[in-house]
Amino acid sequence: MSATALAAGFADAAPLLTTGGALDGLRTAIAVLVEGLGKAAVYFTIAVGLTLVFGLMGVLNFAHGAVTMVGAYLGGLVLVLVVGSGTGTLATIGVFFVAMAIVFAVTTAAGSVIELKLIRPIYDRTPTYQILLTFGVSLIIEEVARIVLTLRGIQPDPQWQAPMGTVPDVLLGRTDVLGIAVRRLYLFEVLIGGVVLVAVWLFLTRTLYGLYIRAGSEDTEMVQALGIDVRRAFTVVFGVGTGLAAVGGVLLMWDPIWGPSVLLSVDVLLYAFVVVIIGGLGSFRGTVVAAGIVGIADSVTTWLFTTGIVTFSGLSEVTIFLLLVGMLVVRPQGLYGVEEVGGH
Amino acid sequence: MSLLELDDVHTYYGESHILQGLDLSVEEGEIVALVGRNGVGKTTTLRTALGLTPPRRGTVRFKGEDVTGVEPHAIADRGMGWVPEDRRVFAHLTVAENLRVAAHAAADPDARLDEAYELFPALERFADKEAGDLSGGQQQMLAIARGMLGDNDLLLVDEPSEGLAPQIVSDVVEALRAASADTTMVLVEQNFRLAMDLADRFYLVDHGVVVEEGDTAGVTSDDERIRRYLTA
Repeated sequence: MSATALAAGFADAAPLLTTGGALDGLRTAIAVLVEGLGKAAVYFTIAVGLTLVFGLMGVLNFAHGAVTMVGAYLGGLVLVLVVGSGTGTLATIGVFFVAMAIVFAVTTAAGSVIELKLIRPIYDRTPTYQILLTFGVSLIIEEVARIVLTLRGIQPDPQWQAPMGTVPDVLLGRTDVLGIAVRRLYLFEVLIGGVVLVAVWLFLTRTLYGLYIRAGSEDTEMVQALGIDVRRAFTVVFGVGTGLAAVGGVLLMWDPIWGPSVLLSVDVLLYAFVVVIIGGLGSFRGTVVAAGIVGIADSVTTWLFTTGIVTFSGLSEVTIFLLLVGMLVVRPQGLYGVEEVGGH
Repeated sequence: MSLLELDDVHTYYGESHILQGLDLSVEEGEIVALVGRNGVGKTTTLRTALGLTPPRRGTVRFKGEDVTGVEPHAIADRGMGWVPEDRRVFAHLTVAENLRVAAHAAADPDARLDEAYELFPALERFADKEAGDLSGGQQQMLAIARGMLGDNDLLLVDEPSEGLAPQIVSDVVEALRAASADTTMVLVEQNFRLAMDLADRFYLVDHGVVVEEGDTAGVTSDDERIRRYLTA
């Protein structure tokens, strides 16, 4: 994430945030908190698939960020193709949700195929094979994206501006909530993140597959011994995890700090890893809490930079990685993690 | 036709040759005990039967069908249950959820859970409690109930008394007796007296092969043919 992008995210924040007085200070704190929750919603949406996959399958998927990048471009493509200058606000938001559904369906199917054809044959090997394989897949996806984008006359980096220009007016600027000016886009992201959180939670706690996944995250062998084809659950989880990563990409597509770019692949992967490691690899609850911590830390440090209190543009990244290092030193298994997951 | 047959089975962990041509058969309705010192291959025998550690050589037949190399979930689906050493309950799932995983294939899972609660009333009281919060004895009850819920014809029970207080062991023995009314059982047990008390027949295993076998009636650990294999 560049300093310019950071500033863009808070471009209209300075007047609000530099106003003096205790009340204004409180309002600023709440506004920063809400923006942190917006970031947390995005981080959660991206990281939850990563943690589900690791929790059940013990696979660290290094291609997860690349899928988010693909999601941002695919979502952007749908928006650019469908939304025109005459498209109304509600219709645009409707198209956004349709794009999200299409991207989720396509990438879930693609993730299932990747699990079946590439990852399944190497389950019995050491984790190094899985890391190298998924890292290789990530590189292939990135390079294919660069080639396709270049052929279509789109710069792979910086962000593809066309879909970012489709953000409806209603999501631009700030809205007054109880006297506090809050960015509407972050409220929208909190809403989507909340929907994803509830949907994943319902899937895990109210469906039979969710039960298998939670049991398998503790002891895969025992689940098999109870007559459950855990490999089928692997395929479902890898597919859903991939789909959720891509949904996160669609969410980032409209975000001025991120936007569709090939670099998104590495940028979001780092944040996703930080979230799942702080929360505890394989823990859904940990991912929720860690996404909140990282989102708010990101928001506070970004505010410190944009208001000029701190002039170091890398403050946000440094803080987040310091959180990661601190967690690894104090509690290596993360907030809610167990020392071994998957039992295999 | 035997319910379970292992014929000249050779099983390895990496390069360690654990089962070195083991033969055994289990008839329907009986309880068979596998006894022997630590590390002679008793647990591996159960894991081999269930397909968790498939043999490199030899044959495993269940209900007359060759299941050598078949995936564990497919063998379990055919009616083989497992109560593993150390219980291995799903610690972060509730007692009811642990049982529901096991009853996944039942037409009416709730009815199956009710049957389990009837057999082990203590479990119903803790239905909504996380299994990791139960005592060792309660976890063992849960593991046995879970092993039985799959509507199994054969239950492989590994070290059910391990780490339990004597009073709790007698509860577990009662639970196993209750379970054996409908289910054939293979029992691995370090406590020789307990094994002989529960089982109809025994196999004495040493260095990955069966060295003695027979009816349990009247057998004690003082028998010379037994003692030399049980003492270090």
